Amino acid sequence: MSQSDIWTEKYRPGKFEEVVGQHEIIKRVSSLVQALNIPHMMFAGPAGTGKSTLALVVVKALFGEKWKDNYLELNASDERGIDVVRQKVKDFARTKALENIPFKVIFLDEADALTREAQQALRRTMENYTHTCRFILSCNYSSNIIDPIQSRCVVFRFRLLEKKDIVEIVKRISEREKLKLTPDAAETLYEVSEGDCRRAINLIQATASISPDINSEMINMIAASAKPAGVRVVLDYALAGDFINARDKLLEVMLKDSISGTDLIKIIQKEIWNLQIEPEIKVRLTEKTGEAEFRMTEGSDEFVQLQALLASFVLAGQGKST
Amino acid sequence: MIHSNINFVEKYRALAYQDILGQDKAIEEVRQFLREFPKKKALILYGPAGTGKTSLALAAAHENNLEIMELNSSDLRNRAKLEVVLKPAAEQMSLFKRGKIIIMDEVDGVTGTDIGGIPELLRVLEVTKHPLIMTCNDVWQSKLAPVRKICKLVEMRALPLQTIQKLIERVAQQEGIIRDARFYQQLAIKSQGDLRAALNDLHSYAHVESLPVDTHEKRDVDENIFNILRVLFKERQDFLSLFDNTQLSLDEILLWIEENIPREYKNESLAKAYQALGKADVFRGRIYKKQSWRFLLYQNIFQSAGISYAKTSPLPGFTKYEAPKRILKIWMNNQRIEKKKTIAKKYAHLVHCSTRRALNDFPLLKLILKNEAIKKQMKLSEEEVQYLAQ
Repeated sequence: MSQSDIWTEKYRPGKFEEVVGQHEIIKRVSSLVQALNIPHMMFAGPAGTGKSTLALVVVKALFGEKWKDNYLELNASDERGIDVVRQKVKDFARTKALENIPFKVIFLDEADALTREAQQALRRTMENYTHTCRFILSCNYSSNIIDPIQSRCVVFRFRLLEKKDIVEIVKRISEREKLKLTPDAAETLYEVSEGDCRRAINLIQATASISPDINSEMINMIAASAKPAGVRVVLDYALAGDFINARDKLLEVMLKDSISGTDLIKIIQKEIWNLQIEPEIKVRLTEKTGEAEFRMTEGSDEFVQLQALLASFVLAGQGKST
Repeated sequence: MIHSNINFVEKYRALAYQDILGQDKAIEEVRQFLREFPKKKALILYGPAGTGKTSLALAAAHENNLEIMELNSSDLRNRAKLEVVLKPAAEQMSLFKRGKIIIMDEVDGVTGTDIGGIPELLRVLEVTKHPLIMTCNDVWQSKLAPVRKICKLVEMRALPLQTIQKLIERVAQQEGIIRDARFYQQLAIKSQGDLRAALNDLHSYAHVESLPVDTHEKRDVDENIFNILRVLFKERQDFLSLFDNTQLSLDEILLWIEENIPREYKNESLAKAYQALGKADVFRGRIYKKQSWRFLLYQNIFQSAGISYAKTSPLPGFTKYEAPKRILKIWMNNQRIEKKKTIAKKYAHLVHCSTRRALNDFPLLKLILKNEAIKKQMKLSEEEVQYLAQ
């Protein structure tokens, strides 16, 4: 465990035995590592389920103290284009790894942020450096990764952490940090984090920054304040027929909390079922929402598509649908 | 008063590192490059226009007392010329000064027609005895791939609004121009991070009392767009040539339509119009993705006939149209949350997640980052600490 005061780092497992949950995957990966040879791997699954952690555990097990020299972590959504990724891979792969392990490890996080064309280029890069590097790719859905890359990787599917896993982690942390949790607090943490461990730990640290005595109510309050507010207001304006205000508010919400259109539309999709409109229209709106989300992933302008969606809400407010 | 006919850009060009603002990281990289030369023989400064690429190259020469061999985009672009001009320059020792530096502007201007330009440049890079600094806007285009491989790459980012404002105010002061802060701020906003543009605007607007800077300049440039919108929204007909009378691109027109639909249409026609605009946008996306310009036709039809036929009958009355605002809003917001982004980036790097995720989690991070030890570990700058305290 590292020295950081950020709890997601402080309590990040450093060994296979310390990892909570994902038992099957841990068993398989650790046996690969014991043989001192790993294939290219793909870790697929939701955020906060241990993909980056396991990649770190793997390199620490392989390289011991010298893991930092033999490990390159890249985030596809942060790098500007595949050319940057390739350049970094190239620079990294230029020097040799340790004596007894003939390869280095590259972890490419959020590989599904790459376009298909970029993935093709990545595939060639993987081939070019296959003698000197092993790739671990992470993604939310393996279906967003092109087949030729999938077929070169052993795919591991990560699941959301279960309640008992989160409860165990929370217990560990609260003991070490001398926090006092009410009995239901750990469960509440599980519920609001929805099985996302990073979120659960961030929530507990954020709550603890206010008081070491933690109850459900506080957790709920902090979680609610951290959620992008105002989406409901946007929809209410639209349902009332006030498109211009709905649109202004929409842009304001997106800019204020730096939410992308693809993240915002997920909130809209959930919110539809809380609206006071005919169930049949809810289904139609859901279809529109799905179409807009799909278009965004295909490269359409997020704000244009969101406005088109809001216009459908205006009609829904009058009991009509298109 | 301005009597000199030298423009502000040349007159106030930075000659020392300390005059170049907001690019500390790039300066440090250039310093290191010159210190370590000939470990890497060339360096490429890349980034948007007006961020100080040429100034930094020139400042590097002055600071190190190096003779400058400057090659402009127009000077040499093909193999024969490169061989005659650049190669001897690269191989000969300097006559008067300690050394020489070769500065080559706008290498991305070496196009397909300049046959052999890139291979010859590569050959020159092999033999050169002097450091070579190149500038370009887009370093990631494929034709530069072989050059990229052997050069040190240094990025120069668009300058923050405040930096530009500070700089043009300083120049204005030296020129005896007296305007209020709002004037400078508007110039800075309009420049979109391009200092050269800001200085040129300062030059041209300095003494035009009656003409305040319009941050939506397009309004003056193109009156036609208002007539186009009027026909589009009021009448019902197809007009494939409707957009021929304007200088605006189809994508810019799309923004104008997007802004003004709700000022004309309500309910069904509103929904239909946005559906059409959504489809126009889908085709726009396909054009960019696949580079198939044939789809322009479809974009054109959806954002003309599609919008016009969204209503059932012609609309009477006068409507006041407005210029698109969201691009400016987004840009200004980006300036405002610059610090938030740099904090998120530092945090993301420490905890193995993406900057996007860190931005999403920012409300929680704000609480976590109250911890002084964490601030220290993240090496937050003073401005960043201030941002968190807000």
